[in-house]
Amino acid sequence: MSEEFNWLEYVEHEESAPEPERRGRLSRLLSRRPCLPGRPRLRLPRLRRRFRLAGLAFWRRRPKDSAPEQESATSLLDQRAERPLEDLDERLQFLRERSISPSQPSADAQQALYEVDDVLVTPEIAQKPGGVISAGALSKAQRQQVELLQDIVGGATQAEEPAGRRFLPSQALFSLSAAPRMIAAAALLALVSLPFASSDFAVGALPPSEFPEERPGFAAVYEALDGLTGSDFALVALEYGPAAAGELDSLADLVLRHVFARGVKPLIVSSNPIAIAHARNIIRAINRSVAGSGISLLPGYDYHILRFLPGGALGIRELNENFADVVKVSAKGISTGLQLDSLDRVKSIVLISDSAETVRNWAEQVVAASDNAPLLAFTSYSAAPIAQVYADASAEILGLVFGYRDAYTYGEELQASFGGVPPAPANNQSSADGTRDSQANQPQEADAMGERPQATAEPAPTETPLPSATPPPTATPAPTSTALPTATDLPTATATLETIVIVEVRSPQQVRIRRGPTTADDILRLAQTGDTFEVIGANGDGSWYQIALANGLEGWIAAFLVDEGRTTRAAFEAGRASASARSPTERVVLERGFLLSLGKNGPRFYQADAPILSDIHEFVLMRDRSQEAPRLEAMTLGTLAAVLLIVVGNVLSAFGALRGRADPNDRRGSFDD
Amino acid sequence: MRRVGGGMSAFVAFAVGVATILSLLLGDNPALFGGQAGSEELARRLALPGDVLLRLVVIVVALSIVIGVANLLFVHVGRAARGAFTSAVVLASFAFTIYWYVSRRGDTSLLEAVQVPIESALAALLFLSLTLGGARILQKRADIWGLLFVVVAVIVLLGSIPLAELAPVKALSDWLLAIPVSAGARAILLGIALGAVVAGVRALLGQDRAFRG
Repeated sequence: MSEEFNWLEYVEHEESAPEPERRGRLSRLLSRRPCLPGRPRLRLPRLRRRFRLAGLAFWRRRPKDSAPEQESATSLLDQRAERPLEDLDERLQFLRERSISPSQPSADAQQALYEVDDVLVTPEIAQKPGGVISAGALSKAQRQQVELLQDIVGGATQAEEPAGRRFLPSQALFSLSAAPRMIAAAALLALVSLPFASSDFAVGALPPSEFPEERPGFAAVYEALDGLTGSDFALVALEYGPAAAGELDSLADLVLRHVFARGVKPLIVSSNPIAIAHARNIIRAINRSVAGSGISLLPGYDYHILRFLPGGALGIRELNENFADVVKVSAKGISTGLQLDSLDRVKSIVLISDSAETVRNWAEQVVAASDNAPLLAFTSYSAAPIAQVYADASAEILGLVFGYRDAYTYGEELQASFGGVPPAPANNQSSADGTRDSQANQPQEADAMGERPQATAEPAPTETPLPSATPPPTATPAPTSTALPTATDLPTATATLETIVIVEVRSPQQVRIRRGPTTADDILRLAQTGDTFEVIGANGDGSWYQIALANGLEGWIAAFLVDEGRTTRAAFEAGRASASARSPTERVVLERGFLLSLGKNGPRFYQADAPILSDIHEFVLMRDRSQEAPRLEAMTLGTLAAVLLIVVGNVLSAFGALRGRADPNDRRGSFDD
Repeated sequence: MRRVGGGMSAFVAFAVGVATILSLLLGDNPALFGGQAGSEELARRLALPGDVLLRLVVIVVALSIVIGVANLLFVHVGRAARGAFTSAVVLASFAFTIYWYVSRRGDTSLLEAVQVPIESALAALLFLSLTLGGARILQKRADIWGLLFVVVAVIVLLGSIPLAELAPVKALSDWLLAIPVSAGARAILLGIALGAVVAGVRALLGQDRAFRG
């Protein structure tokens, strides 16, 4: 350590170096030129004056009638290399000396720097390798501000430490003065943890399950996303770092699930490189939540994480100006295969941000240039006040959703919209007068690429009343309320030898599995040729089978598209296990009927910008909501405790002041200062 | 020579700034030229310098990130060589993260396991600090401003609590957020805009020369 580098000495040495050494290279060369005796050498400063007179630096020249002390600091700085130190103004010389050795100002310096001393404070730096916190010593004014801040927030006072001694956190942690703060912090921590341990500590009401009427922008944001279809693209900007993840991840999760549930491919971008990596992890979490349904989101197909946008506002602007180029490259630097010529191909622009400035940048740089894509802003609670102002004044911002409470309301609406309650067969029964809307029964099947309409693929249901809720499959025969063949005469000695009725898809095209036995019902998923399902019921005329899906849901499939058969449960489960042994990629590709070529660089997908499915309810229904209510209750309890603490603390302070314990002369940090 | 270099850098900054502004103002706006024949082509050409220069900025910023990482590494290598333990930890973490990412083909789970929890916890600590600070504000600032701070903080916090009994307070809190806070926010936005204009003009006129390093 004795050989430690001392930058102060280095500065001293450099500043006091001989003048010729500090000249430029050209100046030294010119000074070496031979010259006649008695003739002065050609010196570079004269050339410089000529350049200056030529007007290159006209805006920096001093006015003719101004005093020398009014010359700008920039000008003096520029002249430093060609002027000796003694030519500097006296006060500048003293300032320079003080910056080199701040602890020993001379009497002359104190007099010369009168009234300047308090303004031009020189930071004192103490080089101490091995310590980060203690590396910088503070000036007197800075130390006073730090002391005030520490007094308010309750930290230890560094000024009380002996000079050169490192600040040890343990001293503050276990000092008597820290005890009340430690107790208060522990009480707060315990209080906000209670709702996670028991539901008995619920305080206050949960946020509303419907959009508040006084905030029409909230509902507008939801409806804009809900109106997307499988052929649309949504630009999702994740503009927040890990510090805001605790608050904004819930909003990002909901937005992405909503987008995925509508079959829309999000294009995820960010001007924050960490957010790029974080986005991938959010989607992985969504993938894990729907893993039981056999659905797996495929990067480069179901979603695209685009390359990082460097440059802040300029990077965001580049996205607008060169959209076609930006979307061609993923965050991993490989081609996305996207052929989107302009931002107009995007139907919605979603921004999730922890900064109001980012909202402004996106509204000005991107959305203002888009003809048909409004900005749907999701922000943190702290960014909302300023972002709200901008949202109110900007026509480009459709609405603003902020904070964890809004996330709860959004999730409730999403859950209700996508059928949080299992579908009731009554929804598919005939109307009261026994007739049906013939339009709703028209076959409207799409082909594998989601295009519609095409030739009849499913029969129109008859007016036969449908069976009520079908019992789940058990060891007993399959539901036989219709003409379906029963299995009562088959061996059922054990569960594995139980015979069940199955259907196998024989249509060469994909077949839609719906929520009910009509073509007007929502699509749950698609089935491929050869897929087999266990039958658990049928409608009245046997034109639709009710089948069990792998994720525990139930769906309906048209009878004429499948072959009926029987097998043992053991054989059926073995076949399903074999199918599930495929890789997630294979399953997704097979499920969605896309072309796959296994080149030497890995799988490549074609028609990456083609639409996929619509209404994939699993993304919403399989969301983990177990921690939502406890988190909100913890927030309420924490806020109550904070209010209590602030009121009690300040009342005690006020009593102390009335009893004369406060120092009336202590006005540190007041606004008058 | 230094003066010449300084003058040249200022001149380049001035020229580039003016060219960019003119390009952004006049480019891609054929209506400015009366919509006559060739006006679209003229507008497109005028927009080109601004686009090129701004794209160059983006590239330079991207490169500066790499340079920043390299500089950070060099600084900590030097500090670690002088015995700084924290710098050694930084370097080891950097190497381990790179190894993890490469060996696991782009696995970013370390981000979720380390950085997100730590930064979230630091953000949560802010709640504690602000609460304790709010409890001591009158002890250190027993004036009208301190009292105003406490009253407003309590009203806004109470207004955010979802209890029916606090509905009047919530109305007051909403008013505070809608009127005074909104006014302050608009003032901040105006200040930012004016500051940006002033900073741009000063840079164009050579008064601010941060680009010289």
